[in-house]
Amino acid sequence: MKLSSLPWLAILLLSCGLQSALAGGAHGQHGELAVGLASGPDGTLYAALVNHGHLQIQRSQDDGHSWQAHAQVNREAEAIAADGENHPQLAVDAKGALYVSWARRFEQRFTGDVRFARAENGRDFSAPVTVHQDRSQTGHSFPRMHLSPDGRLQLIWIDGREGLAAKAVGGEYAGSALYATHSDDGGRTFAAEYKLIDHSCQCCRLALSQDNDGSLLLMWRQLFANGERDHALLRLPRQGAAEPLQRATFDAWRIDACPHHGPALTVDGAGRRHAVWFSPHGETGPVFYGQLDSQGVQGQRAVGGPRASHADIASLGQRVVLLWKEFDGEQTHLRAEISDDGGRNFRSSTLGQSNGPSDHPRLLRHGQRLLAFWHSAEHGLQGYPLP
Amino acid sequence: MIRFFSRCLYSLCLITSLAVAQAPIEALNKAQARLLVDPSQHQQPTLLTLWSLECAYCKKNLTQFGELLRQYPNIQLLTLASEPATGEHAALLQKLALPGRHFAYGNEAPEALAFAIDPNWRGELPRTLLFDGKGGRQALSGVIAPQRALQLLGLEPAR
Repeated sequence: MKLSSLPWLAILLLSCGLQSALAGGAHGQHGELAVGLASGPDGTLYAALVNHGHLQIQRSQDDGHSWQAHAQVNREAEAIAADGENHPQLAVDAKGALYVSWARRFEQRFTGDVRFARAENGRDFSAPVTVHQDRSQTGHSFPRMHLSPDGRLQLIWIDGREGLAAKAVGGEYAGSALYATHSDDGGRTFAAEYKLIDHSCQCCRLALSQDNDGSLLLMWRQLFANGERDHALLRLPRQGAAEPLQRATFDAWRIDACPHHGPALTVDGAGRRHAVWFSPHGETGPVFYGQLDSQGVQGQRAVGGPRASHADIASLGQRVVLLWKEFDGEQTHLRAEISDDGGRNFRSSTLGQSNGPSDHPRLLRHGQRLLAFWHSAEHGLQGYPLP
Repeated sequence: MIRFFSRCLYSLCLITSLAVAQAPIEALNKAQARLLVDPSQHQQPTLLTLWSLECAYCKKNLTQFGELLRQYPNIQLLTLASEPATGEHAALLQKLALPGRHFAYGNEAPEALAFAIDPNWRGELPRTLLFDGKGGRQALSGVIAPQRALQLLGLEPAR
């Protein structure tokens, strides 16, 4: 190589390097606010956060006001999904063992696998494993993990294998499928994955809640006939097969689009199913609250104003809490509605504000209370007491 | 051997730089966003389409708009990625051979940029703003059929 070409090579190398750095930096700046939260048996709060390819566990002893480093999950860095809809999943069992699941992204867009790691002593994590046997280069993402009081770990995710198979023979498949697996030995082994349903929406988080008889209730955005992106409900009994799919919402939003805006679901002490969801096609909304029963949606109404987004819902006994964020043109506000009579009457409260990007707001049962959490670039991860 | 690798590296970087040069992506701030969505700024039929790498439907929408532009070269296309630009954005825009200016979110809060672009937009993608070049503006979410786009741009009579 001629000496005269060295400066050009240096400039080009710098240019390439700068582009890579910008690409990586952009991701780190806005894309790693998503958290997973869990409440420990001794009153410790745990949070799973993504930091440059590593899942890190932090703990808090003061209801999320301050956080301390606790453990690192994966020793080898990998591409971990960390957006509000596709966020790390965290659970703690009665003995303090920690379970973490997340979506790993492969290089090719829309492909990846569902990962899992466990720490029996709450600190030292096993090497991550992929929970499904399918190794095809397709999407296995948006996992939702639930730990039942009897120790069963249930994992459900959005799976692209049906679409991949259809494409291979020149066919088409609408949306994705939902697949599940479970473990009854604390995550040492998982059952072979099984399909729950066909034709889910591809990019909205799943909602998973425990019914009062120990069954799990799954709510998600489903592709119904005529391209209507409404929500569906599936009851997963502790034993046996899932019950037939039940349509949960009836907004008839017909669109070929990625809402990236999944629902949330909770069952109160009296067995009432309360849900919040996003459906931005009508005059009101776009976020709605309603109670779901066999007759359909009862008491459907808008939550917040026209820029309300990413609502969560939780209940404890008769208390039902709706939590969402709402941008007013200048700031994003963290807002809540709280009911202490099983959802008959609600009172409103504004819990905080933030300038800049933020994760979805999240609710968590912590002992005999519900707490709100919000991870914003301005304030960091904070717990917010509910009035 | 060193000379061979140096040449390979040189060629690789040159190709990368040229690729970026062919599809420059401008980082957008709130003030620029307000200008971009002002109908008085567009004197010809214009499509401003919002997209993301995370949105599978967006690629279909972009592809269809690319084909539409080949038939109707008087339509101006503007693309806006609702996330900071990466090499992957540039590569896809180049692969689809989309003409026009390309934008991506800058460093301001995503909510603030989204509000400046379209206060009625809830974040679903794709989202397209259609300007007829005569002061008219409409916004639609989802994949837009080319015929519908032509109608909204005032280039085809509504049926």
